[in-house]
Amino acid sequence: MFHVHWSEWSGQLVDGLVRTLEYTVLGFALAAVLGLVLALLRTSRLALVRLPAAGYTELFKNIPLLVIIFVLYFGLPQTEGALGHWVVMGSFRAGVLGLAIFYAAYLSEIFRAALTGVDPGQAEAAQALGLSRRSLFVSVVFPQALRLALPGTNTMLVDMLKSTSLLITITAGELMSVGQSISSQTFEVMEVYLVLAAIYFAMCYPLSQALLWLERRVRAGAPLSVGRSRRLRTARELLGAPDAVTLRPAATATAGGA
Amino acid sequence: MTVADHADDARHAGAEPPAADRPVVSVEGLVKSFDGRVVLDHVDLRVRQGRIVTILGQSGGGKSTLLRCVNLLERPDSGTIEVAGEPVFAGTRVVYRDLAKLRQSVGMVFQRFNLFPHLTAVENVALAQTKAAGVPPQQAIETAVRLLKRVHLQHRGLAFPGQMSGGEQQRVAIARALALQPRVLLFDEPTSALDPESTREVLQVMRELSEDGMTMLVVTHEVPFARRVADEVVFVDGGRIVEQGTAADVLDRPTHKRTRDFLATFDEDVA
Repeated sequence: MFHVHWSEWSGQLVDGLVRTLEYTVLGFALAAVLGLVLALLRTSRLALVRLPAAGYTELFKNIPLLVIIFVLYFGLPQTEGALGHWVVMGSFRAGVLGLAIFYAAYLSEIFRAALTGVDPGQAEAAQALGLSRRSLFVSVVFPQALRLALPGTNTMLVDMLKSTSLLITITAGELMSVGQSISSQTFEVMEVYLVLAAIYFAMCYPLSQALLWLERRVRAGAPLSVGRSRRLRTARELLGAPDAVTLRPAATATAGGA
Repeated sequence: MTVADHADDARHAGAEPPAADRPVVSVEGLVKSFDGRVVLDHVDLRVRQGRIVTILGQSGGGKSTLLRCVNLLERPDSGTIEVAGEPVFAGTRVVYRDLAKLRQSVGMVFQRFNLFPHLTAVENVALAQTKAAGVPPQQAIETAVRLLKRVHLQHRGLAFPGQMSGGEQQRVAIARALALQPRVLLFDEPTSALDPESTREVLQVMRELSEDGMTMLVVTHEVPFARRVADEVVFVDGGRIVEQGTAADVLDRPTHKRTRDFLATFDEDVA
């Protein structure tokens, strides 16, 4: 059935797989932080703060990822004389940065929509209770925005994992680069790329299912921290409530109705 | 003669007014406008310790704005506000430095409840204690459970707001406002978004609070509630207090035409 002796390539495939996951995890972490900062800036009342963030988002949303990667990896080194040596970067740094810059633009849109989607009455209630601006954001606005942002964010994560394959163009050592290397040496193009497709599917499908599970847990209000679990356990004991009463999904509920 | 007039007499006599006559909330010459439209026009109001003052009036008359100015959710244009004897707003600026502390002493219940939907009822009541008042989480949960029992909702402590009826949500909101042991509770049309059964549940809790001596400032359309529970009724129209006095004075013997017209609408509704 197989013409390629896969056992001979397993080491390289594992290295490629690990490298793919490294690009995804690091790229996504950076993109999420940058996206959140941009989203917060975009909700500012000051145009001087809001407009540059909006400009970033529009710019990088409308440029292909591959162009960003090429600018970082091939273009910037040509400006070394003017900008200094820091602009010369290896394929790993260029790959992570390219992914982060590109996906931050999309994530900022998702986060901004989520932040503005939280009912203004929530912040008002928190203010009326004397919460500081920080507590208001951390304990009231952010958890609700997270619920709204999770579906879009999760889609972006899976999409980024697949987009790491574009890094083949800068020989980034990720899975697709390894596949190309195997196919060029074995000439079994069809087999190699079908196996690669299967590996990507085996990574992406469980990831999306796990993220869907997380979405459902968050929507149901399940505790995601030890502290909250402990507080709810105390409340359950004091209220004398059976476990079954807790944490049913509230998806069908409305603000005013039963 | 109103309750406020009695207090003024005592002050003019040079004597320190008794605790029950000291205003918890004192508003003088309050002006607030939105985009040039004046919604509060030199409003004076005093709410004394343990009293229940209800504010009646047409929608858009400035009732809610008056309430929201007391805890500075709305910043007045000018006037003076004192809470528990402390100057909060004077002239055109906020003079009370610790806004969070002010809001802890002035509990507020909103028309649309504004519970935090990602937290259970007990967590809603506990949150401000831990985040605003620095109460240890365990102790905050214990207080929250006690307060939920007080509003007859201990069986719903682990439910999320979306799983509760409007009346239950409003009672949780009352428990949440009580959690920081406020000096006064502000109610902004607490029953307007509720069906009759839920309205009855919420009014029952408010009556119990009044029996416990809680000072309350209530914006409402519930004339029967005002008649039964309020010590003082204030009628607001066009951003001004046009009539003020005991419930019997204002509701049974209104002197101002606007008050009579407003109350007549309710009589027609009942008929």
